[in-house]
Amino acid sequence: MDLKELYQEIILDHGKNPRNLRKTENFNKDAKGHNPLCGDKVHVYLKLDEDKKVQDISFEGQGCAISMASASIMTDLVKGKEEHEVKEIVQDFLEMIKKKDKLNNKILEENEKTKLMCLSGVKKYPMRVKCATLSWHTLTSAIDNTQEEINSENID
Amino acid sequence: MNIENIKKQFPIFNNKVHNNDLVYLDSANSSQKPQVVVDRIYDFYTKEFSNVGRSVHYLAVAATNLYEETRSLVQKYINAKDPNEIVFTKGATEAINLVANTFGQKFLKEGDEIILTELEHHSNYVPWHYLRRSKGVQIKFAEINSDGEISLESIQKLISPKTKMIAITHLSNVTGAILPIKEITRLAHSKNIPILIDGCQGAPHLRIDMQEIGCDFYAISCHKMYGPTGLGILYAKKKWLEALPPYQGGGGMISEVKKDGITFGDLPNKYEAGTMATAQVIAFAESIKFLNQIGIKNIEKHENELTKYGEEVLRKNNSVTLVGNPKNKGSVLSFTLDGIHAHDIATILDEDGVAIRAGHHCCQILHDKLGLAATARASLGIYNTREDIDKLNESINKCKKIFNK
Ligand SMILES: Cc1ncc(COP(=O)(O)O)c(C=O)c1O
Repeated sequence: MDLKELYQEIILDHGKNPRNLRKTENFNKDAKGHNPLCGDKVHVYLKLDEDKKVQDISFEGQGCAISMASASIMTDLVKGKEEHEVKEIVQDFLEMIKKKDKLNNKILEENEKTKLMCLSGVKKYPMRVKCATLSWHTLTSAIDNTQEEINSENID
Repeated sequence: MNIENIKKQFPIFNNKVHNNDLVYLDSANSSQKPQVVVDRIYDFYTKEFSNVGRSVHYLAVAATNLYEETRSLVQKYINAKDPNEIVFTKGATEAINLVANTFGQKFLKEGDEIILTELEHHSNYVPWHYLRRSKGVQIKFAEINSDGEISLESIQKLISPKTKMIAITHLSNVTGAILPIKEITRLAHSKNIPILIDGCQGAPHLRIDMQEIGCDFYAISCHKMYGPTGLGILYAKKKWLEALPPYQGGGGMISEVKKDGITFGDLPNKYEAGTMATAQVIAFAESIKFLNQIGIKNIEKHENELTKYGEEVLRKNNSVTLVGNPKNKGSVLSFTLDGIHAHDIATILDEDGVAIRAGHHCCQILHDKLGLAATARASLGIYNTREDIDKLNESINKCKKIFNK
């Protein structure tokens, strides 16, 4: 059943107890995202070290189980990765959520990919895809330092 | 009154949603359409189509007559004094924009004040906001009380010699609060302030009588009144339609056009520039006849009972919190569920064929005030039954189960 695929145990767990839901001290990059249709908001904070490695990442915000779980899993997975790796993971995730069957990046471990694939249930719920992608777009914006608030209505 | 028979007149209910019967609880967003309205659009296009008010051939004359017949039907339905007080627009949104724009142009200047309420739909805020930018007018918001109601006093408090317009909703599309619009109109007029009522949620559910209410403007959304989309109505007192400048320019609204000047047409053409939503207007006559056939008193009674039943059932469900608790409440049941976001609720309910809306329902000011990012909303129409409420409650319990609440 599709609902069970959407609301898998891991999504419910991350939705209920989001990891890294806080504000990184001394963050050096950040960005905000907003979904005007539902009012969901997210603020992503990044702390990159000299080697451009993610020393810490966190987020603040409120939203549905899907958006909270997505941000939670995202922050868990990109911690410790290098900036260019993060970008690759984001790209891979966004492509997967939209069209591909699986993740192709060589950065994440298999078990990490399995975790991320739990979010693929939203594919059957086109109206909910934005819930899953908002924090990821916001992370990109933080890395690129665009200083622009991500508006889920203006991205695909 | 047999609701099952009324429901049978709505073809949408012949369809399944995810293999379930449709439980449609989103009528505040848009109502479903009875067969007669759907048929009228089809018949008009297949047998009678012509543009209105332009040509003199047989079809054009017949279509023009039909178009004007709807105007008269609407006039009677809302008890306006004159059919020329009925202006067709593309929606309630355009009706309010029309007033804000033309009234603002002619009568407002920097420092003037407009009173709205915290319950307003974005459609009754954004058009006035433009005047804040273009004219430097101030907007004041009458505050809700803890039950999500607007009292006469909350508006009275804000009135000053600079108040030039009061624009308020008839029935909140979130809390369901019915505002004391007659009293507020008396108050406004005692200070010589015109008043606009956003009647989007009032018109489909309540008896409305323009002469009794006495308001200057009343905006109606036809698609929420068992009518077609792309159509709204602005009721405005004749003195205003005569005094205000035209809104859009184009064909049909002019009297004489010369290279060095233009004169504008008489009412109602002055505000109906260009080709209008002809088929929708003509089909809307069937919506009015449908409402008349059931009788607004019966509609009010049925929906009132159902709203009370809904409140009762949802109150008994201990994870549900209703948004607002107005004494005088229309067919809207907004709620939150402990620890479950409105969008998750809506997705899970949808699986059972239960259609509700989740989000801020175009009322961000209100949601900010309530400290809620989003709420779930079940809203009723004439076709809803107690079984629909029971199914809603069952599906809510399913949400709780999925989320282990
Ligand atoms: C209270 C209220 N005002 C205005 C509107 C806008 O109406 P329309 O869709 O006809 O432009 C709506 C409908 O969403 C509404 O509920």
